[in-house]
Amino acid sequence: MHIEAQERDDVLLRRSAKGDERAFTELYRRHQAPLYRFALRMSGNVWAAEEIVQDVFMTLIREPKKFDPERGALRSFLYGITRNRVMKHLERAPRELLHEELDEDTVGQRGLGFEALTPAEWAEVRERREQVRAAVLKLPVEFREAVVLCGLEELSYEEAARLLDCPVGTIRSRLHRGRALLLVKLEMLRDTPKRAGASR
Amino acid sequence: MTCEEFELAGLDLETIQGDDPAHSAVREHLRSCPRCAALQENWQTLQADLHAVGAETQEAEAPARVEMRLRQEFRTRHKTVKARRAAVYAGWTLAAAAVVMAAVSWVNWRHENGKGSPPSAVNSEQGGNMNKTTPAGPELGETIVASNDAGEFTLLPGSLPGLLGDATVVRVQMQRGALGALGLTVNEERAADLIQVDLLVGDDGQPQALRLAQTTD
Repeated sequence: MHIEAQERDDVLLRRSAKGDERAFTELYRRHQAPLYRFALRMSGNVWAAEEIVQDVFMTLIREPKKFDPERGALRSFLYGITRNRVMKHLERAPRELLHEELDEDTVGQRGLGFEALTPAEWAEVRERREQVRAAVLKLPVEFREAVVLCGLEELSYEEAARLLDCPVGTIRSRLHRGRALLLVKLEMLRDTPKRAGASR
Repeated sequence: MTCEEFELAGLDLETIQGDDPAHSAVREHLRSCPRCAALQENWQTLQADLHAVGAETQEAEAPARVEMRLRQEFRTRHKTVKARRAAVYAGWTLAAAAVVMAAVSWVNWRHENGKGSPPSAVNSEQGGNMNKTTPAGPELGETIVASNDAGEFTLLPGSLPGLLGDATVVRVQMQRGALGALGLTVNEERAADLIQVDLLVGDDGQPQALRLAQTTD
């Protein structure tokens, strides 16, 4: 069966539920990358991210009727499942917060200007990014979600709110708190003069 | 604008439109407050760092093996479902066929029971077990007529009522005219009709009495 590029997710899902493998493959290819990135950035572990994405789509194979198109888009539904799986993973392995497994293929270096850096500068940049990544992974989960979606994935507040199924104001405030915590963790406030009468 | 207000709104400077009054207020506050200016600078550095970290994994996607595993699972699952569905259909078809067969058999059995035994069949019953009436003997010189009442046996001429205790009932098919040989009066016009007759046969093998069971046309 031919798959139209713009065929709606719910139509593809219906066909997939009836055993159309091409429809399922199209759905997978359409949604796996952002879900994988979300899982990877939330967990900091490529194996966990891979397992989570696989688990999410297994759910779609086993229980396609769980998705109700009237309640929202398929992507939001899949993000919801991904979030749950990420939470479970974090509960199970809270200290497994390493990006060490990231290889050169996963961590693209395209267009990042590494070519123009001296080895010392390159090492400094790498270290700095490692600090930022580690600081993001240490954020409380609800702030981390907001930072991952709006800061790393660069979604708009509205898109993030839709995916996390919460008001835009909540995203805005979580992002604000998350960024403030990041500044503290990265000791970027160390050199900032204290506000008169402010207590931190 | 105060520092608190700046922290709430000003850090998202890029999201505030240039012609928005808040924009100029933020700019004004940044010029007058070194702390907020430093905070804003750190904030922008963090934004750039986050952007760089995000860019590192911007094109990351699940390895191809995940897709392979999922497609394999998809095939297995849908094949299993199809096989199960086929088994269910086959089961229901067999059950329906069995019900139809049973119904047809029952109807046939009922039909055959309603018709009684086939015309050529011979039913034998021991006289001790049967419910038969022993008719009284005919008067001498009286014309004997076989009764159509199936419940009554008519003694044949020369038979003795007292000797019928161990008699056997034998059902036979014959022409009506043959009744004449047993000493009965026969309507000549219907002599060729086939009839079924229950004969009460005595110990000596001779018919002692008879009754008309059923006429076959």
